[in-house]
This record gives sequence, structure tokens and C-alpha cells, in this order.
Amino acid sequence: MLEGAELYFNVDHGYLEGLVRGCKASLLTQQDYINLVQCETLEDVKIHLQTTDYGNFLANQTNPLTVSKIDTEMRKKLCREFEYFRNHSLEPLSTFFTYMTCSYMIDNVILLMNGALQKKSVKEILVKCHPLGRFTEMEAVNIAETPSDLFNAVLVETPLAPFFQDCMSENTLDELNIELLRNKLYKSYLEAFYKFCKNHGDVTAEIMCPILEFEADRRAFIITLNSFGTELSKDDRETLYPTCGKLYPEGLRLLAQAEDFDQMRRVADHYGVYKPLFEAVGDGNGGKTLEDVFYEREVQMNVLAFNRQFHYGVFYAYTKLKEQEMRNIVWIAECISQRHRTKINSYIPIL
Amino acid sequence: MGSLFRSEAMCLAQLFLQSGTAYECLSALGEKGLVQFRDLNQNVSSFQRKFVGEVKRCEELERILAYLVQEINRADIPLPEGETSPPAPPLKQVLEMQEQLQKLEVELREVTKNKEKLRKNLLELIEYTHMLRVTKTFLKRNVEFEPTYEEFPPLENDSLLDYSCMQRLGAKLGFVSGLINQGKVEAFEKMLWRVCKGYTIVTYAELDEPLEDPETGEVIKWYVFLISFWGEQIGHKVKKICDCYHCHVYPYPNTAEERKEIQEGLNTRIQDLYTVLHKTEDYLRQVLCKAAESVYSHVIQVKKMKAIYHMLNMCSFDVTNKCLIAEVWCPEADLHELRRALEEGSVRWLGPDGRLELLDPQKERE
Repeated sequence: MLEGAELYFNVDHGYLEGLVRGCKASLLTQQDYINLVQCETLEDVKIHLQTTDYGNFLANQTNPLTVSKIDTEMRKKLCREFEYFRNHSLEPLSTFFTYMTCSYMIDNVILLMNGALQKKSVKEILVKCHPLGRFTEMEAVNIAETPSDLFNAVLVETPLAPFFQDCMSENTLDELNIELLRNKLYKSYLEAFYKFCKNHGDVTAEIMCPILEFEADRRAFIITLNSFGTELSKDDRETLYPTCGKLYPEGLRLLAQAEDFDQMRRVADHYGVYKPLFEAVGDGNGGKTLEDVFYEREVQMNVLAFNRQFHYGVFYAYTKLKEQEMRNIVWIAECISQRHRTKINSYIPIL
Repeated sequence: MGSLFRSEAMCLAQLFLQSGTAYECLSALGEKGLVQFRDLNQNVSSFQRKFVGEVKRCEELERILAYLVQEINRADIPLPEGETSPPAPPLKQVLEMQEQLQKLEVELREVTKNKEKLRKNLLELIEYTHMLRVTKTFLKRNVEFEPTYEEFPPLENDSLLDYSCMQRLGAKLGFVSGLINQGKVEAFEKMLWRVCKGYTIVTYAELDEPLEDPETGEVIKWYVFLISFWGEQIGHKVKKICDCYHCHVYPYPNTAEERKEIQEGLNTRIQDLYTVLHKTEDYLRQVLCKAAESVYSHVIQVKKMKAIYHMLNMCSFDVTNKCLIAEVWCPEADLHELRRALEEGSVRWLGPDGRLELLDPQKERE
């Protein structure tokens, strides 16, 4: 059947796809990472990054250089690129970009509410917010006392509004409830994003749906792992799992009953994709953690997304790969600045 | 005729440069524009090369110069571009230049900071006067009431606030007034309505003249608003929403006398600020003009210096002879120019009385 993406994709989105592939080609290579690991100080890191696509991004920073300055500047650079893509996009790519920013918006909202609980000033927390998830009504988030308040007063006209359907309640927002709110919002968001990609069809659905399914299942595993030993009941836990992944419905039901890591592993063993991941998890001290294994798998899927043309997944994949690269650089920089070089090679290699 | 379409015969030469004269020789070579250096240190990463410290110093100077150029352009001072480009500075001058530039940067930053503070102050006072003037027309009434009244006095018919149908409220009536960016007025109003659910009354009017926004520096249109609300809680929420939309809030005067007093005080302060600001701006301009005379040549000099150090990084260091070995591609026809440039460079370093030993460049035909 003639899908047709090759026929009309380039009319609207060809320029941006070309641009994003160019950006992807300038991600740091294995050689760059080897050089970075050999650096003695953060100044060396800055000098080496000048020879990469980052260029003189730290040129205007006065001494002393800190890891957080490097992180902020890298994030600003990513944000500039993302905003450029977004400003030049047409529908439905623009909606795709909006969906991408929603996850950062959710994080920012939760960050601000936690800050309000701990009585910190809004300005302090604004600095920590992710620039991709910035929106005007963000700073007014701390007025709200309950989730319905939050929705009605502040968020009703933002892209986050449709995700509030399951979260409307009159409970006051304390720490536990904020975490529950975060997970419920994220679940609705992920399911909406998945539906959008699936309805779009074509190559985009073929690439994005497996990525989002993995994201949903990963979320389920992490929620289960974090809920061991807390007062979260099993039924509550089950309501937090996103249902757009491979684990739905049997796996999720089994996961909800799991009580320790081994039971979780047994659930994963039923699925061909997740069995090798869990087998690669080391046992505590030496080996990889579950999060590391998940990051590696995510990087793998994102790199593979670039093997097909004419789909929106390249933008998602590029952003995620760039974020992983930033995490790697920050990890290496932290090891250097704290002179704790034993685990400096535990970054996730990308290319 | 045939040679016009053929490339020049090139040869690969090896230069032995004494560590002392290396900088000057490369400067002379660079001015002539004859040779291309081969990178002999390809396996060494950029931060482990020999002259990394000097390159960093050049970059620091570049940063200061970029800042100076930015400030000069901002003050609209013309930057004279010289006809000839000056050569790279000899090493003795570099320290002097560095000190001079650093001092200049520190002074400039301080003066600019002061000027910005004064300017911000001035803008705030101007906004406050506008606000007082405009909000006077919002509430037309004979008697200014005090917020602690339980009973509101009867008012004229054409006031914007209709109190006659209101019951006696024990709650305090509060006011929040200030300026808001034109683009945000609608969203602001909507959020106020949603959060406070009608316990506030908002009036606003547009300011005729666009003012400069102290934070971003762009000239935009502002709206003056006045929010009257009932109750402490609502007051807190209103203030938080004002913060969220970056409104400039100013204290609202309670009585007509207070208002007049404040306005007079503001006027005198504004006059004073204008004079101080003018003086500061004049001084800043003086400093920048003086800097602008030499900035252009400094920029070129620093660029050349950095380029020389990059090339020096490509040479390999021979410990036994204490000299730098460079491999260069050079057109055969220009070899004597090459020699002459090296002689020039050594002479410059040693001074007119110095003796020089020029090591023969070995030739390998390639």
C-alpha cells in the first residue's frame, strides 16, 4: 500500500529534518569522550569542548568555572535549537513539538509546587526549571491548594489541561499527593502522545510508538521499584501505570502485585524485550543499575530512529540523545571536579 | 604559458626555531603569508599541548575586548578601523596590554553597573508618577475613604465603583496598583477572575507614551491597573499573580494629601536623578571614547597572537637541541623569502646587536 510519506513530507518538514540530521551529526563521538575523560580540570573540559560543535559557548563565563554553569549553558544551547525547530514548524509537527514540551512542563509544575511546600521563593526555583518547559502561567502555580484549584485557576489554558481528567480531586497537595499528581499527569500525557502518534500513522507511528511503549513500560517498572517499602497501596500503584506499553494489561496486573525486585524480574521475563535488560542488571555494588540499563536501551532506540526518513521521530530522538550527552558531560565534569575518577567511565556511550 | 595552468612546485621544509625566537619568527612568517604548517602533534589532545596557557591568556583578552566592543557599540560611538593591520605584539608588550585591558574592564563594569542602577531607579520613579496620575481618574469621588471604614460613604453616580448596593463588610478593602506589560493584560485579567472568583474589581487604562522596560531594555506599551479586593487571603493571591506576570507594583496612596505629597517628592527625586544620570553617562562616554581609539588594533593584535600560538602548538619540541621543529609546505620559488622572514624574526628578538645563527632549512622534495 502506498503510504505516501515520501511524497509530501519534504514539502512541509524537509528543511527541519535536514537541519536536525545535521545537528545529530555533531553529537560527541567516542573519541571526544576519551579525550574528556583524560581532562584534569574543568578548564580542560572547556578547551576540549571548543573543538566540538559546542564551540565557544562558555566564552563569556568568568572564572571560576563550575559544573552547574556548564550544565546551564548546554541546556540553553539545546533550548535555542529546539525553539528554532519549533518556530519554523508547521502542523502537525508543531503539535508534536508541543507534546514534547509537555513532559518538561509537568516537571516544572511539580518542582514549583514542591518548592512552595518547602516555603522557598519562586525565583529560587525558577532557576532550576527546565527551559523547554517554560510557560507564562508557571509562576502562579503556588497559589493553588488542591489539584482542581490548580487546574481551574492556572493550567486550564495551557497544553497540560487535557491531562487533568483523572487528577481532579479536592485533596490538599502535600508531598505524597504531589508525587501522585505527577505520575497521573504523566500517564495521561504519555497515553495522549501515543494516541497522537498512532493516529498520525505512517513512518512516524512505526518509529515513535515502540519508543513510547518502552517509555511507558519503563515508567511502570520504575514506579514499582520506587514503591517497595512505601505506603502506596497496590491498587493505587496500578492506577499510576501508563497503559500504552507492551505490559498492558497482563503485565501491569502482575507488576501491581509484585513486592520485591525478583518478582518484578519474573514479570519482565515473560517479555522477550525486557528479559535481556533485566539480566544485564548487576547486583548492587559493581554492575549497572536498572536505570542505566534503561538509558542504554533508550539510546539504542533513539539512534535507530535516524535510519528511516520522513518521520517526526528524528526530532524526539535528537532531543533525547542530546540530553543524554549533556548528562554524560555533567557526569564526567562532576567526577573531574570532585577528583573521584573511579567511576568516570560510567557514562552511556551514544555513537 | 603552460605554467599558468599548472600548480606551483612545492617543497616540504623543516624549520629549527630556537625557543626564544620562535614567536617572532612565526610572526614574520605570518605577515608574509607564505607557508602552511603541518600538525606534528596530532595525537595530542588540544588541552595537553605545550602552549595551552598562552592560548587561554589570549582568549581571556579576546573576551575583554569583545565586551569593550559591545559596550562601545551600545553607546553608539564610532569605531575607527585602521588602514593597516598592526603586527602581533612583541612578548614584552603583552603583559602591559593585559594589565591595561583588565583595569579598563573592571572600571567599565563598575561604571556601567552604577549607570544601570540609576536608570532603573529613574524608570521606577517615572512609572510611579504615571501610575499616580492615571489612577486618580479611576475613582472619582468627593471624599477619599479610608480602608478601615466599615461603612462606605455614598458616592456620586458616575464613579466606576458602585458601592451603593454593597452590604457592610467587615473585611478590609485593599488596593494593588501598578503597571503591566500590554501583551499580558488579558491573561492577567483572566487569571485574576479565575482565582479570585469575583472578589476583585480590576480597572486599567493604557499609558500613552511607551516606556522602557527596566529588565529587558526594550520600549513597550504599558497599562496602568488598579485592583481593589476584599479580604486578606485574596490580597495574597492577587500579589502572587502580580508577581507571576512581572507587574511593577507600587504602593497606592490612601488619601489625596498623601498622593500630593508623594507626587511632589517623586518630582524632586526625578530631577536629581536626571542630573546624576547625565553626569554618569558623560563619564562613561569619555572612558569608552578613549578605549575606542585603540580597541581595533588590539583586537587584531590579539587575533594574530592567538594564531601564532596555535601554530606553535603544532610544532614538536626537541629536548636535546632545545628548539622547536616545524614542518612547513612552501613554494620553491619563495624559499629565499622564507629565509629572509626567519632572519627578520631573529633580529627582532635579539635586538640590533645580537648575533644570530640561522639553521639551514632542509629541503625534501615532495
